[in-house]
Amino acid sequence: MSLLRAWAAGLPAYLWSGWGAIASLMLLLAAWEAGSAVYGPLILPDPGTTFATLGGLITSGAAWPELAATARRALAGLALAVAAGSALGMLAGVSMTASMMSRPLVTVLLGTPPIAWLVLAMLWFGASDGTPVFTVFIACFPVVFVAALQGTRTLDGHLREVATVFRLPGRMRLTDVVLPHVVSYLFPAWITALGTSWKVVVMAELLASADGVGAALAVTRSQLDTASTLAWITAVVALLLAVEYLLLEPIKRELERWRSSEAVQA
Amino acid sequence: MTTARLAIRGLAHAYALRSVLEGIDLDLPAGRVLALVGPSGCGKTTLLHLCAGLLTLQSGSLHSSYRQPAVMFQQPRLLPWKTTLDNIALGLKAAGVPRAERLARAGAMGRAVGLDTLALGQFPHALSGGMQSRAALARALALLPDLLLMDEPFSALDIGLKGQLHRMLLEHQAMHRVAVLMITHDLMEAVRLADTIAVMASDPGRIVHRLELAKPARERDDVWVYRCTADLLQVPAVRASFGLEPAMPPQQPDEDAAPRRRVNAC
Repeated sequence: MSLLRAWAAGLPAYLWSGWGAIASLMLLLAAWEAGSAVYGPLILPDPGTTFATLGGLITSGAAWPELAATARRALAGLALAVAAGSALGMLAGVSMTASMMSRPLVTVLLGTPPIAWLVLAMLWFGASDGTPVFTVFIACFPVVFVAALQGTRTLDGHLREVATVFRLPGRMRLTDVVLPHVVSYLFPAWITALGTSWKVVVMAELLASADGVGAALAVTRSQLDTASTLAWITAVVALLLAVEYLLLEPIKRELERWRSSEAVQA
Repeated sequence: MTTARLAIRGLAHAYALRSVLEGIDLDLPAGRVLALVGPSGCGKTTLLHLCAGLLTLQSGSLHSSYRQPAVMFQQPRLLPWKTTLDNIALGLKAAGVPRAERLARAGAMGRAVGLDTLALGQFPHALSGGMQSRAALARALALLPDLLLMDEPFSALDIGLKGQLHRMLLEHQAMHRVAVLMITHDLMEAVRLADTIAVMASDPGRIVHRLELAKPARERDDVWVYRCTADLLQVPAVRASFGLEPAMPPQQPDEDAAPRRRVNAC
């Protein structure tokens, strides 16, 4: 609850600090506009047309069911990866043997391209939700797992000794010493995993699903409808940016207030 | 309370094949201050960690009837994600003291060691080294320990700050009759604070000289401390343990190696 209040209180100042980010996004739009002027609307429709198409998709109600399906799959896979990766990574971090054994396995998982997992998933799960969810899970899991492992392994031995001599009970050792340190490693990994999940889910849907943004992209591609293609891409990217910068980043700032020096004034 | 004591007999400790402590005998009755002095690497910290229960006893005996020991480490070792006040309250929280009471007690102890309200609300990284040491001292004293173990706690501080913290420690020690086992490589600090000084030599760590100081610590002035330190530095065993050249030709080198006891030398 206090976290929610801090999030709401910090939001205006945080948004104000976003002018720089907005300026760079505007530059991107300008470059897009310029590219469209050079190559013509079939190759690259201008931003205005794209946003108008997106507006049309939203007002006609066509956008929401697709976006909801995509979000459901991405978040399901992400939630599984975050839960399993965080828990298993921390467990592996506790034991030297487990962390040494898991390293090569994680490298294998990280090195296998998501498209390869997607083909396997299509064979295993067919056209069901299982295919995108599994692909998202397997793409995000190693990222989260490695962060949890690193966080647990790098906890300062000195602080463990402090926990011992001040007779911290097991639960307090976890909540007051281990978790705050591990979370500072985990949170950035969760944000990376979120980005991965959106990318992978659209790819999976493009090849394996009958609905969702990926499937909609497959349709617009076959109709050579570049404006709608860009509209869908814009929608997905805007959603990702909103979740990351309006929700996760402020929470991260609040959780890591102890790191920054400007926190002193708070 | 008055019957509590720490008794060490024939204690030895080795890391792998390297023997770091041999034949250690020590007694620390309630309300006394015992200083262990010796060069770096003579096993002082190992001995303290054994007393604190951070290392497992290998041979010899170590009995402590103190019920509430507290440790102050060489570095402040504050938890970076907790405010100074919450850091001071750490031991109380572990002991199950309710939140309002532990924060009140921690606040009072923090102010007693010279931390103001602003500093108590800050995170440790915003504090100076001296402030962090004060917080670490307050964290140990907040538990109202009957045994305080200190590992070169003031070695990184300037002499002014050192003097202040010495006075605070002595006041608290006199008021609560705390037994203190402190490690230092600073002979003068030992002479200023301790009732008993045990000088250690290295390879393997052993006690080569003991000195009882009868004058109460709070009545010692600078002149007395300088003179007594100079006297102590004339003892051949002490010079040898720090690797200093002999001040005078040693008369019976064999006997100097054996522990000897002098009472009230100064």
